[in-house]
Amino acid sequence: MTTDATPTAPAALPAATAAGNMKPPTRLSIAGRELGRAAIAVIIAMIATLLIVFFVSKSPVDALMTLLTAPFSRVRTFGLWVDDVAKLTMTGLAFSLVFQARQFALGVQGQLYVGALAATYVALSPIGQTWAGLPLGVLAAMIAGGIYGFLPGIAKARLGANEIVSTLMLNYIAIELCNFLVRVSLVPPGSGLLTTDKFPKTSLYPVLVANTRIDLGLIFAILCVLGTWFALYRTSWGLKLRLVGHNARFAEYAGIKANAIMVSAMTVAGALGGLLGSMFVQGQAFGQLTVLFEGGFAFEGILIAIVARNRPLAVPVVAMFYAYLRQGAQLMNIRTDVPAEVISVVAALIILLVASQFGLPAWLKRNVLGTRRGATR
Amino acid sequence: MNEFLLTVFSAAFLATVIRTSTPLLLATLGGLISDLSGALNVALDGIMLIGCLTAVIVSHYAPWYVGVLAGIGAGAAVGLVMAFFHLRMKADIIIVGFAIGALATGGTVFALSLATGGDKGTSINLPSGAVPAVDLSFLGAIPGIGPALVAIFSGHSLLSWVAAFLVFAIWYFLYRTPWGLWLRAVGEYPAAPEAAGIPVNAVRFWSLIVSGALAGLGGAQLAMFNFIGFTANMTAGRGFIALGAVLLGARHPVGVMFAALLFGAFDGLTNVLPGHYPWIPPELIRMIPFAVTILALLLFSYRAQRALALRGVKA
Repeated sequence: MTTDATPTAPAALPAATAAGNMKPPTRLSIAGRELGRAAIAVIIAMIATLLIVFFVSKSPVDALMTLLTAPFSRVRTFGLWVDDVAKLTMTGLAFSLVFQARQFALGVQGQLYVGALAATYVALSPIGQTWAGLPLGVLAAMIAGGIYGFLPGIAKARLGANEIVSTLMLNYIAIELCNFLVRVSLVPPGSGLLTTDKFPKTSLYPVLVANTRIDLGLIFAILCVLGTWFALYRTSWGLKLRLVGHNARFAEYAGIKANAIMVSAMTVAGALGGLLGSMFVQGQAFGQLTVLFEGGFAFEGILIAIVARNRPLAVPVVAMFYAYLRQGAQLMNIRTDVPAEVISVVAALIILLVASQFGLPAWLKRNVLGTRRGATR
Repeated sequence: MNEFLLTVFSAAFLATVIRTSTPLLLATLGGLISDLSGALNVALDGIMLIGCLTAVIVSHYAPWYVGVLAGIGAGAAVGLVMAFFHLRMKADIIIVGFAIGALATGGTVFALSLATGGDKGTSINLPSGAVPAVDLSFLGAIPGIGPALVAIFSGHSLLSWVAAFLVFAIWYFLYRTPWGLWLRAVGEYPAAPEAAGIPVNAVRFWSLIVSGALAGLGGAQLAMFNFIGFTANMTAGRGFIALGAVLLGARHPVGVMFAALLFGAFDGLTNVLPGHYPWIPPELIRMIPFAVTILALLLFSYRAQRALALRGVKA
C-alpha cells in the first residue's frame, strides 16, 4: 500500500529526487516531512500574526495572550471549541473528498444551506414532534446535500461544465433560496422575522456535556472521519477515486469509469455538506434556522483540507488547531482591540505556505539540518 | 408586459447595462488574460474586493485618479504575489486563488475596521472619491438619433470608455503582437514556446500581474462609480461570474465583452424588475445572474464538447 502514501504529497517528490539516489520514501518519512512543512507554515503564520497584532493593537501582549489562551479558559469556551472542531471537521472532510478526486468543487456552502432547509422542514413538520424528527431530519439534510453535490458533478461528467464556477453559483442560489423560503414559508406570515421558531426538543441533537454546545454532532463528525477514511483507503471505490484523482486518463485506460467515480465523490461530499447543515440547525448552537446562519464558514474547510493534505484522519487534527485559533480570535475580538478577521490573514498565509513546495534556504539546511539529512540516507 | 419590454429595450436600460457591465468586463478581461496564459484565476473576486477597498481608502486622502491607480496597483501587487507562489513556490494556482480569496474577504474587513476605527460593515465614515462621468451631451446636436445617443452613451464612467478601449487593446495585443502570440502559446502548449526560446515563466508572471491589475481596476470602478464607498463583500460574486463570462465568451476579447454585457444586462434586470413586477420575490430576482451564469456555462460546455466531438477528439 505504498501507493496511497506517495500521491497526495506530490510536493514531497521533487525534494526526494533532488537529494539524489535516496531510498524510496517510506510512509513515515513522508508523514514526517509533511508535518515539518505544516509546522514551518504555522510558525511563519504565527510570526506574521504577532507582527500584525503588535502593529495594530494598543495592548499587543493582552491581545496575544487572549488569542493563545482564552479558548480553554472556561468550560463554556471549551465547549465552543469542541463544537467548532466538529463542524470544521465536517467541511474539511467534504472538501478533502472532492479534492482527492481532483475536483475543485466548492459547493459545501450551498449543500449546507439546502441540508439545513431540508432538516428544518422535517423538524417543523408534525414529524418533528416525534422521535423520528431527529433521524429523518438528518437523513433529509444528507439527501438534499447529496443532490446538490450531484448536480454540478453530473454537469461536469456529461458536459464538461467547470465545477468551480457551477458550484460557486449554486452556493449563491442556495443562499437566496434559503432567504426566500424562510421569509415565505418557514416563519409566520407577515411577521417579518428572519429566524424560524425553535425546533421541538425531539428534533434537536441530544447534549453530551451539560451546559455546553457539545452534542451529537461530535459523534457524527467522528463517525464521518472514520467512514471517509475507510471508504477512501479500504474499499475499491476509494482506490478508484484516488486513482481518478491522480490521473483520470490512466484510470480510464485501467477500465475505471472515471466520470462515475467523480460524480459519486461529489455526491457523497454533498451528503457530508448536507449533514453539516443539519448539525448547524438541529444542533444545540442554533436549534432553529436563521437566514445567512453560515456566514462563509463552509469555506474554512478548504484550509483544513489543504493543510491536512486531504487525509481524512489528519482533518480533525488540523480542525482542532484551526478551531483553537478561530475561537481565540473571536475572544480577542471581544476582549481587546484587534478585529477577529486577522485570522483570515493567518489562514491565507498558512494555505499559501503549505501549498508551496518551499524548501528551507540552502544555507539554513547546510548549517542546521545538515546532520539530519545525512541520517536519512 | 409591454411596458416592461419597453423599459428593457429603452435607451435608459442600455445605459444601465453599460454601467453594471463595466466592473464585470474589466474583471473578465483580467480573467481572460490569465486563462489564456494557462492559469485559471479564481482569485478575481478577491482581487476586485481588494481593489475596491484600496481605491476607497486612497481616494479619501487623494484625488480620484490616484484612487483608481491605487486600485490597479493593489490588484497588480496581488497578481504578483500569486505569480510568486504559483511560479516560484510551485503552489497550485487554484489553491493560491483560494488563499487570496480568503485573504480578501477577511482582510478587507480587517483593514476597513482599522481604517475607520472599528466599523466592519461600510466605509460610510470615510468619504471617498468618485470616477467622473464623461458628458457627451453635444451628441444631441445630431438630428434624429442624437437624443438616443446621449441617453445611451453620455454620463458613463470614464472607466467604461477605458474598458471598451481595453477590449480593443487586448485584442490587438493578443492577435497582432508577438507578445500576444507568446502568451497564447504559453497557455496552449508551454513546451513549444519553451523550445523556441520564449521566456515562458516571465510570460506567466506578467499575465498574472496584468490579470490582477485589470481586476483591481474593475474593483475601483465598482467602489468609485457603481457604488461610492466600500461595503463588506461588495463584489457579491462578480469575480466568479467573470470566470463564467470568460468561458461563455469563448476566451476571445470581443466574445467576453458580449458575455460581460449579457451578465450586466441580467444584473440591470434585477434593478428594473421590482418596479414592474413587485410580486416577484426579490430573492428570486437576485438569483438571476447566478442562474444565468450556470445556464450559460452549461450551454457553452455543451457546445465546446460538441465541437470537440466533431473534430474527433474524445473529451
